[in-house]
Amino acid sequence: MTVPDALQAWLLLEHEAVWLFPVIGARRDDLVDPATVSFEAHRDTRDGLLARLQQLGVEPSAAELTYATGPLTTTAEARAAAQSLEARITAACLTLVGEAEGDLREHAVRNVRKAALAEQTWGAEPMAFPGLP
Amino acid sequence: MVISRRVLLGTGAVVVATGGLLTAAERTHRLDDIADEVGLDPKPLPDPADTRIVRRAADESAVLLATAEATASAHPAVELAPVVAIVREQLAAVGGASAATTPAPSPDAPAAVAALAQALSSAADRRASDANRAGSPALVRVLASMAAGHAQTARTVRRLR
Repeated sequence: MTVPDALQAWLLLEHEAVWLFPVIGARRDDLVDPATVSFEAHRDTRDGLLARLQQLGVEPSAAELTYATGPLTTTAEARAAAQSLEARITAACLTLVGEAEGDLREHAVRNVRKAALAEQTWGAEPMAFPGLP
Repeated sequence: MVISRRVLLGTGAVVVATGGLLTAAERTHRLDDIADEVGLDPKPLPDPADTRIVRRAADESAVLLATAEATASAHPAVELAPVVAIVREQLAAVGGASAATTPAPSPDAPAAVAALAQALSSAADRRASDANRAGSPALVRVLASMAAGHAQTARTVRRLR
């Protein structure tokens, strides 16, 4: 996988996060605050990835109109959807970490940690190696 | 792209094992003979800088495990067993075998737990720094993931205070 491919894979997940967290906040009153925090963080990350891809001369992937998240009718379901997405972001960042050099690698390493902590925020137990199958 | 954890960890172990071989060779100047003795086919040698990074990670993980085990032993009411298991798994992945000895933890449980959380946070920072410097992509990923795991366990321990 090339660096632009790895960035695009990560961007697709950030698009999904920017869609998911407002939905969670809208459907679950008890999760409004953490969903808002997550939305703002992922929006900023998405914008940063858009800028990086444009700097590389790559057309960034567009967001889907909607995403298949499964039912979000209970708090547990909403937390599980959020946790699953954060876990996929951790793995995507880890893929980029191995491809990138310099500043971009440092950025990806920071975001592996950030995503792993976000997984935990949404209910994941700590792991020895987050992002690795 | 799915990264196989087993493959990655195996790569780390190879770096460690070959690093030991290199150390022996440096002492004896008989690298080819040693390679023959252990049945190694000709292979690219690992980057010596990567080997040093893995050795440091193993040494520091051993100290971290000793700290976690000592804290868990001194304060059995604090639920540290999952943290100890995670640190042990990380130590094994970077080729460490046994925990080093460390100073006794504080008899005050909150202070001891705070010290363990700080040790985990510091380890997270050092493994992230190592990931930024390592050469092998597989090793870079293992170190970055390990740093994230340390950060998760540090947060877990802080919540126990």
